[in-house]
Amino acid sequence: MQIAKILGKRDVRQLEQLLHRHYGCQVDLSRYRVFITRENRLWIASREVDIPFFRDMKRCYRIGIYFGKLKRNNKIKLTIEGALMVGKTATRNMAVIDEEEVMEYMQGNDVHRYRLVDAELHNFVLVKCKNDTLGCGLLREGYIESLVSKARRLVKPAASEPEEHEEK
Amino acid sequence: MFIERIRAMIPDAEALFSAEQEWQSIRVNLLKIGRDELVERLHEQFEVKPIPWCEYGLFVRGNIAKTLEYFLGYYHIQGASSMLPPLALEPETQEMVLDMCAAPGSKTTQMAMVMERGIVVANDVNIKRLRALSHNIQKSGATNCIITNYDARFMYKQGFKSRAILLDAPCTASGRIIKDKHRLDQWNYHRIQHMSNVQKMLIRSACECLEKDGVLVYSTCSLEPEENEEVIAYALERFDVEIEPLSFTGIRTRPGLTSWQGRRYEGLERAVRVWPQDNGTEGFFICKLRKY
Repeated sequence: MQIAKILGKRDVRQLEQLLHRHYGCQVDLSRYRVFITRENRLWIASREVDIPFFRDMKRCYRIGIYFGKLKRNNKIKLTIEGALMVGKTATRNMAVIDEEEVMEYMQGNDVHRYRLVDAELHNFVLVKCKNDTLGCGLLREGYIESLVSKARRLVKPAASEPEEHEEK
Repeated sequence: MFIERIRAMIPDAEALFSAEQEWQSIRVNLLKIGRDELVERLHEQFEVKPIPWCEYGLFVRGNIAKTLEYFLGYYHIQGASSMLPPLALEPETQEMVLDMCAAPGSKTTQMAMVMERGIVVANDVNIKRLRALSHNIQKSGATNCIITNYDARFMYKQGFKSRAILLDAPCTASGRIIKDKHRLDQWNYHRIQHMSNVQKMLIRSACECLEKDGVLVYSTCSLEPEENEEVIAYALERFDVEIEPLSFTGIRTRPGLTSWQGRRYEGLERAVRVWPQDNGTEGFFICKLRKY
């Protein structure tokens, strides 16, 4: 893992403030070790993980989980796990979608029907449905671009695929 | 030949060949959702019942891979009997567990979930399988996992030491016959011998990495004695390890074989075999070793 910096207490507090400014949330990241890679990706790991030890290990592939990516305009694109953590207390930059749109979002398609909560255009928004935070999206004019990574998208059943209860 | 071998192992071999898996199984991800809340949500879509031997396991009927709850990582699709090896290891909440052949990560994330302040070092040699492991750890939200990419057969040379090791060894997976009857067509004795040799190298490495008084759980989803009892006998002969008795509640298990094709295996009755026909799950072999 190419860790550029392990964030100190002050950096972590700044990150929490950034999240608060953007999503209006109260996230306590002091419970984790936070570090950033050379591609500006933020990762979090439990406090029990000795990051320098594993960082220096020759074949260490990954430590902790990917939280989000810090963009140049000081915005954070959150992963689903990052969004789940932030979404519990978020109050702004949110888009609430209904159950019919959830499948579209999970398949990585744009979402056209939504209700915004204090959201800025061309900005990252937390996509929510009822009490669930589904992840992050990008608010465009008239639609939300789904930012679900390819690996996490639900695959649409092929046209020829038989229905579940249909006899093959 | 497979059929004859099974008949030599158990008296109810025919029941194994006709066994069918009626329920799929999932493990609730307690890091993201409570068990009761998930049950309530799934009840609206599926038939759900608890897995008696695992408090956070559920049997489910239906297409469980395309739900919102699965997408969000609220549960992990995992074989009901594959939840047993982490239960046998009983990782303490504050220790470091080494999972030597971790991909795709079902057992890794199960252990990570129950260890409040402990960490799991999840290792796998295969880079493709490592991606699956990485994906599953991310999806589980377990922040206490570290992934390494060593050949587990030689991990002891890296100086790894742990008091708790899970070795869920690669195997011929004949215990999955309940899910896939075509496995019978692919059965090959040379493959068993090859896997057995690999497994012996793996258990040797695991025993070297194990600290004194530490616990090693060895498991496979194979029914072949060469991949199970034979490997444990190999470890007992060469290393300072002894078998600890295992017992699980809510699941029918049978003791390990004490002899096979003229060879006697001392103490292997303390190991556990889960036969597919007994519980409607895939077959498993589990043995708990302690270093003295």
